Amino acid sequence: MASINTEYGRDLRKYGGFDFNACYNCGTCTAVCSLSTEEDSFPREMVRFSVLGMEDDIKSSLKPWLCYYCGECTTHCPQTANPGELMMSLRRWLTSVYDWTGLSGLLYRFLPATVTAMILAAAAVIAFSASRDFNLPEIMKAGHYFEMIAIGTVLAVIFIPNLIRMWWFTMLKPGIKVPAANYFKAAADLFIHMFTQKRARDCEDNNFRWLEHFLLVIGYLALLFTTVVLDWFSSSSLFVIILGYLVSAIVFIVTIDFVSGRIRKKKEVSRFSHASDWMFVVWLVLMGLSAFAVRLFIDLGWLENNLWLYLLHLTVLVQWALIIVPFGKWTHFLYRSFAMYFHSVKSQVK
Amino acid sequence: MNRKIGVYICHCGGNISDYVDVEKVKQAVVNDDGVFLAKTTMFACGDANQKEMVEDIRNNGLDGVIVASCSPKLHLLTFRAVSERAGLNKYNYVHANIREQVSWAHSDNKAGATDKAIQIVKSAIAKVRLAEPLMPFRFPAVKAVAIAGGGISGMRAALGLSDMGCPVYLIEKSPFFGGRTSQWDVLYTSGQTGGQMVSELYGELLKRENVKLLTGAEIISGSGNIGDFKLKVRVTPRYVPENCNGDKLNESIAACPVELPDEFNFNLTKRKAIYRNHPGQFPQTAVIDMTSCTRCGECEKICPEIDLSQEEEIIDINAGSVLVATGFDPYTPADGEFGYGLSDRVITLPEFKRLIELNDSGLVHKGRRVRKIAYIYCVGSRQPEGDNKYCSRYCCTSVIHSAIQAKKKFGDITGYHFTRGIRTYGKQELLYAESLKGGEIYLQSYEDDPPVVEVNENSLKVRINDILTGIREVSVEPDLVVLVTGMVPRADNSVGALFKLPKGRDSFFNEIHMKLRPVETVIDGIIICGACQGPKNITESVNSALSAAVKSFSLVNRGELEMEPIVATIDEETCEWCGACYEACPFDAIRKTVKGTREIAEINNSVCKGCGICLPVCPVDAIELTAYSNREIESMIDALAGSYPIMTTK
Repeated sequence: MASINTEYGRDLRKYGGFDFNACYNCGTCTAVCSLSTEEDSFPREMVRFSVLGMEDDIKSSLKPWLCYYCGECTTHCPQTANPGELMMSLRRWLTSVYDWTGLSGLLYRFLPATVTAMILAAAAVIAFSASRDFNLPEIMKAGHYFEMIAIGTVLAVIFIPNLIRMWWFTMLKPGIKVPAANYFKAAADLFIHMFTQKRARDCEDNNFRWLEHFLLVIGYLALLFTTVVLDWFSSSSLFVIILGYLVSAIVFIVTIDFVSGRIRKKKEVSRFSHASDWMFVVWLVLMGLSAFAVRLFIDLGWLENNLWLYLLHLTVLVQWALIIVPFGKWTHFLYRSFAMYFHSVKSQVK
Repeated sequence: MNRKIGVYICHCGGNISDYVDVEKVKQAVVNDDGVFLAKTTMFACGDANQKEMVEDIRNNGLDGVIVASCSPKLHLLTFRAVSERAGLNKYNYVHANIREQVSWAHSDNKAGATDKAIQIVKSAIAKVRLAEPLMPFRFPAVKAVAIAGGGISGMRAALGLSDMGCPVYLIEKSPFFGGRTSQWDVLYTSGQTGGQMVSELYGELLKRENVKLLTGAEIISGSGNIGDFKLKVRVTPRYVPENCNGDKLNESIAACPVELPDEFNFNLTKRKAIYRNHPGQFPQTAVIDMTSCTRCGECEKICPEIDLSQEEEIIDINAGSVLVATGFDPYTPADGEFGYGLSDRVITLPEFKRLIELNDSGLVHKGRRVRKIAYIYCVGSRQPEGDNKYCSRYCCTSVIHSAIQAKKKFGDITGYHFTRGIRTYGKQELLYAESLKGGEIYLQSYEDDPPVVEVNENSLKVRINDILTGIREVSVEPDLVVLVTGMVPRADNSVGALFKLPKGRDSFFNEIHMKLRPVETVIDGIIICGACQGPKNITESVNSALSAAVKSFSLVNRGELEMEPIVATIDEETCEWCGACYEACPFDAIRKTVKGTREIAEINNSVCKGCGICLPVCPVDAIELTAYSNREIESMIDALAGSYPIMTTK
């Protein structure tokens, strides 16, 4: 028997949820949702769990990840209870539940903590550069090594344990029995959803946003590959150089559109922005733009005299890799794909 | 015997003529004895035909008219009015129903339907031949209204009647006016307290010369009939005069050794045998409750004006109409119903409302601070079994409003509402939205699976299979359980019993027609309003009170009443008074009287409704009904069955 816990709702407000208490359970949100099905019906159920504070039920649910936030539910809600934004805050909350370090929750709930972390990261970059007497080639070399080490470490120390926790909360603890073979059979779904987010195309009138998002994911991953594996900044291959320009341009052009959407607030999906949302899109713009500029300055021979640009790029990179990627909104790339994967694993039982 | 009869046979568009050959009907009756003219018409009720009928009657001096059309429930009054406009007594009009009783019923048999229509029209002709012009009875009506019940409805009705210039007796059984309303704190939507509203009404009533206010007054007998009710009212004295007030009164009250639970606060507090009004109760003079007073004289020592020797008096009231506004009782849960009686932390909604008003900083009940409250809805209302199947209408709004008030007043309170679905209709919906947004928790269950209150030694637990969460069991451990009790009829039915007021299945007083005659009862002259008639909130009670005031006033304002002349009549020669008719009459319209040396029955024309129930029970056939005499009915039967072949089926 679940005991009603109104504290939970208060806590959820710090993750961005608001007014969901106004829900009078008409179910319009669920009826208009293009992704909700009879077996996996949301968001009303999630709103209800949030109001009553049924934490265990939310923790074990994959439903928050099944939503791709088109905002139809919020548009049609007669009580303006904002189910769409509630689903978003549940994803933030789940991210912090999966995170074994607890840092995710701290950064989501407490903005000053995020700001402090960002400042510390910047200070570390400056301090490191100073210790190397602001020697550009040395700093650039270190920057390149940092990227590789950061990716490996975040994956091993944060993501793998967190994914195991997610698996424990959503599959093992609720006692879902599936044959091991299902995990292989469903493996294809993991990659399809990770790289295409094809489910988002089923959201109402979402083809353009889906395309933008798809380009961003591909552009981002390609930029990562170009800088880390192909070592873009040191490469002399014309192909690599042009590829780098292309993918970094994709990253900042698409994200500039996302940022302007959040400023204009015309679409439901970009009407409400939590600090973590701002940080995610703004840092993507900075990443793409600064990488583009660094390479441009290299090609024009200006970088020697404009060390500050590389330091800016490195700062953005460090903040991104140590704060936003492991503990911020970046994780939705991973958790959502795995949620779709686990969902597929479960579905094959039936 | 009427010899100049006009017959109009209606097509009703095609409703009749599609199945009944109306021309054939006309031909079959046009040459009947006494028929002067017979016509068919597309719509008898249409303006053109009505005008034509008026001209026909006037120009030809018709002395009997028949329209064969729809049910008399629809258009009897229409054509009676046509007759009157043409100068013909309206009782010389007879209505024949060939739509509901013929064309609609026999659409599968056109020939048979036509035969039946002919028979029905012929029987109407037989009746109208014998019809006599009748004049309505007229008798005097006393221009005064007695109102039983001095709550919000009674007070507002009294004011309404007084405004119209009608003398009013406002009779309140308890020592104070204001009723239940005076017990309620801030009200939705006006934001006033119940007390303020009552105070406003009372202040107005005091200014009226034509309103007689009676407290401690109980109607002990009632007789008479519409236009002339005679009431005997026993008035209990207050014993405390107005000049015993202020500190002197407070000291007298303090000196009183008798202490008993204060029913105004639903026994949450105590009062003395001598006590003053609560804010919102009027008059402002104190009163001594003689049922508990020991006549020890302590109060008299302090305030010598107190006069324990005052005696009750009986006063006679004569009124043309009686308005009953006796209100409701809050439902009292049974022992053990949702833990009621098992824990002193399980209380009812009215008690909770008093509790909010009685506490100032922080909600404290029985010495404990209250922060979590479970509200259990529909206690004593919407029950699957028993009398209380109805919705009490006011409780959802009232409890949600009270919960909001408690939150505003005490701050740190969360309500858990165990509902059966919320019915905050109309503007009250805004309250529900406010409550939801304020973080109150709403749960819902089905009637056959109510929430369960567990009473433990030091804690309470309420659990429910919440249908809003996929019928999952959820629970809360509250500091206080409030049973949201609805309205039940007053346990004290003395006024209803006195006038034999009919009650509905819910045991509230019954109106004649819920929609069209919402404040009249089958007892002529007795009008009902407010919550004695069924659960109502204050707005609805006042609406019905004002409509009742107008209805009462319309009965008495001309000083004279007109009644339908269709009543039972006694053949004085034949009647031998056996009492069978007296037993059968549902309206108390028959009594025994002495004519010469013989005892016979007598009909009270102002009470008789002409229902005819006394006719068949008379063993000597001494009763006739005006306009439905044996001769008329027999002639109709002859026409229906005697002179025409019985209708055959195909």
